[in-house]
Amino acid sequence: MIDVDALISATGMLFSSGTPWLIVVPGILIGLVFGAIPGLQISMAMAIFLPLTLYLDFMQAMLFLTAIFTGGGFGGSIPAILMNIPGTSSAIATAFDGYPMSRQGEHNLALGVALGASCIGVIIGYSILFLLINPISQLVLRIGPAEMAAVILWGITLIGSLSSGSILKGLISGLVGLLVGTIGYSEAGVTRGTFGSPYLLDGVPVIPAMIGMFAASELFRLVTKDYLVEDSAARTVSVRLILTGFRRAISKPWIVLRGSLIGVFVGSVPGVGSSVANLISYMATRRNSPEPHSFGKGNPHGVIASESANSTSEAGSMATLLALGIPGGGATAVMLAAFAMHNITGGPQFIREQTDVVYAIIIANFGQAFLLIGLGLVFIPLLANVIKVPMNYLVPSVLSMAVFGAFGLTGDLSGPLTVLVFSVVGWVFKRYDYSVPAAVIGILLGGMAEDSVVYSYQISGGQWTYLLERPITLVILALLTASLFGSKAIEVLKRRAGR
Amino acid sequence: MGQYSGSFGKRRIADLVVLLVLGIMAAFYCYDAISASTHIYNLIMVLPLTVLVLGLCIAQFVVAVRSGEPETEPAESVREVVPVMLLFTAYVVSLDWLGFDVGTLLFMGVFLFMQGERRWPWLIGYSIAFAFVLTFFFQQMLPYPMPTLIIEITNPGGSL
Repeated sequence: MIDVDALISATGMLFSSGTPWLIVVPGILIGLVFGAIPGLQISMAMAIFLPLTLYLDFMQAMLFLTAIFTGGGFGGSIPAILMNIPGTSSAIATAFDGYPMSRQGEHNLALGVALGASCIGVIIGYSILFLLINPISQLVLRIGPAEMAAVILWGITLIGSLSSGSILKGLISGLVGLLVGTIGYSEAGVTRGTFGSPYLLDGVPVIPAMIGMFAASELFRLVTKDYLVEDSAARTVSVRLILTGFRRAISKPWIVLRGSLIGVFVGSVPGVGSSVANLISYMATRRNSPEPHSFGKGNPHGVIASESANSTSEAGSMATLLALGIPGGGATAVMLAAFAMHNITGGPQFIREQTDVVYAIIIANFGQAFLLIGLGLVFIPLLANVIKVPMNYLVPSVLSMAVFGAFGLTGDLSGPLTVLVFSVVGWVFKRYDYSVPAAVIGILLGGMAEDSVVYSYQISGGQWTYLLERPITLVILALLTASLFGSKAIEVLKRRAGR
Repeated sequence: MGQYSGSFGKRRIADLVVLLVLGIMAAFYCYDAISASTHIYNLIMVLPLTVLVLGLCIAQFVVAVRSGEPETEPAESVREVVPVMLLFTAYVVSLDWLGFDVGTLLFMGVFLFMQGERRWPWLIGYSIAFAFVLTFFFQQMLPYPMPTLIIEITNPGGSL
């Protein structure tokens, strides 16, 4: 399973001189900054710095880009915890418990927990990748549009039933989000729901909508507060408490391991992976917890579950990229561009012929995880000072940054306008207990879900019995049904057994 | 109905209005999609999703009407939030004319004033510094031109 010669060669590549590591530190820092600033994206950071990789050899280029990926993966959790603004869609579940912890003055602990779970997650994820890159790539090849559609529906159902006080409202939010995600051109070549606006021909700009629903709407709610953390005694930044949080994550190896396994396998599903993996891991942890009702109110186990899954989904998406040459999202798409710039094509042949480079990338990520611990411990206290900024300064500053970031994503004013519209929608949703995360995931995945359903229809020729030939789809649909009705069914069975 | 009896009716009605708006919007979108084309590729997702949304809305409507339990009041009041929303709307809508530099400066200044900041050097200094540093940073980073009134960079994204 492991090519020892290639492993020795990879070690030589990485450790014969310090040069490859010189670009890793700035890469992680760039990722941390872009992940931590609401409105800036990891893929944006990678795209901006992609031209620099032309001056590097292929392996160094990959080390630099994966360092940005690693730093950004954790960086996204910082605004999720401190401001309820997930820097990326993969940090949505981190905000569920991270933000309540912050509001209770446990921000240091939450950040430490997130850092610990992320770093261990990266190590576990890449270890799994190191051992199982070939089987994972074979598994990914079995995933067709029917499975993609089923995973998306499962993700929406999970989050809809998890993140709102009412399951019905959660499901309505997710399905309305899916509908919004299909606005624009359809596969039939006609436009729907655009109100004649050219801005909507390609659909609703997804990331600005996410920024609006999560960030801006939350900022409206915070207008009435003086500080993010209301208790002035708790408004401190403590490296000691961050380290305590770090140790707390280490002390929960099963949660981290479960999150990591979910992250690697679900993360390898192109396009869907990281957005859904953190939710599945969160739900699995909540379900297995003796105190499921404490989730969503500041339970650190929720942060561990989410962060361990989203950091390992990086390894999952790298598996798909390296083994099949398929990018799983924006960040890996930029990496694919780096492949092209260096005349390299990912896929089974690449893994076979350049196994040493693949191993070097994996080993370098172990190193990046350790560097992230050090850099995170230096960087987090600086960013955590945001809790000391009065809300009357913080709210307009973050709103402006969201507007600038949205403009940066779309290149025109459709981005800021989308932030505006969805900030109001998000505020209404939160006020009336609809699930904002479910709606956002729906918007994110609506277009992809529709494409998957259309492709499945084309492949099957409209025969629904085709689903019976897709065991993975059936398993996912069974899991979906179980997540909707499982706990109710168990309750009914228990009651009957009690009689 | 206990402690919420004063505003309970209003909140319940607002809740039902939100539900109604969601249902109407879903139905309208489906109608628009059907008007555009009845091809299966156009409706394969939209139609079943709309049916599901409408079904769930009806179920939630029934649950909400039958439920007698008081719902908790949100922490923030509409009176405090709406002025901020209006200011944010004015900021975003005026970006095309005022540009990101002046628009952001005015937004920051007015927001700080509305929230009770009366230390004028702080208010003016922070608004100017924040607006111009952010505009300059994004102009340097982005490869396309940003609408601005004062800060002008002829080669956007040129520093990279």
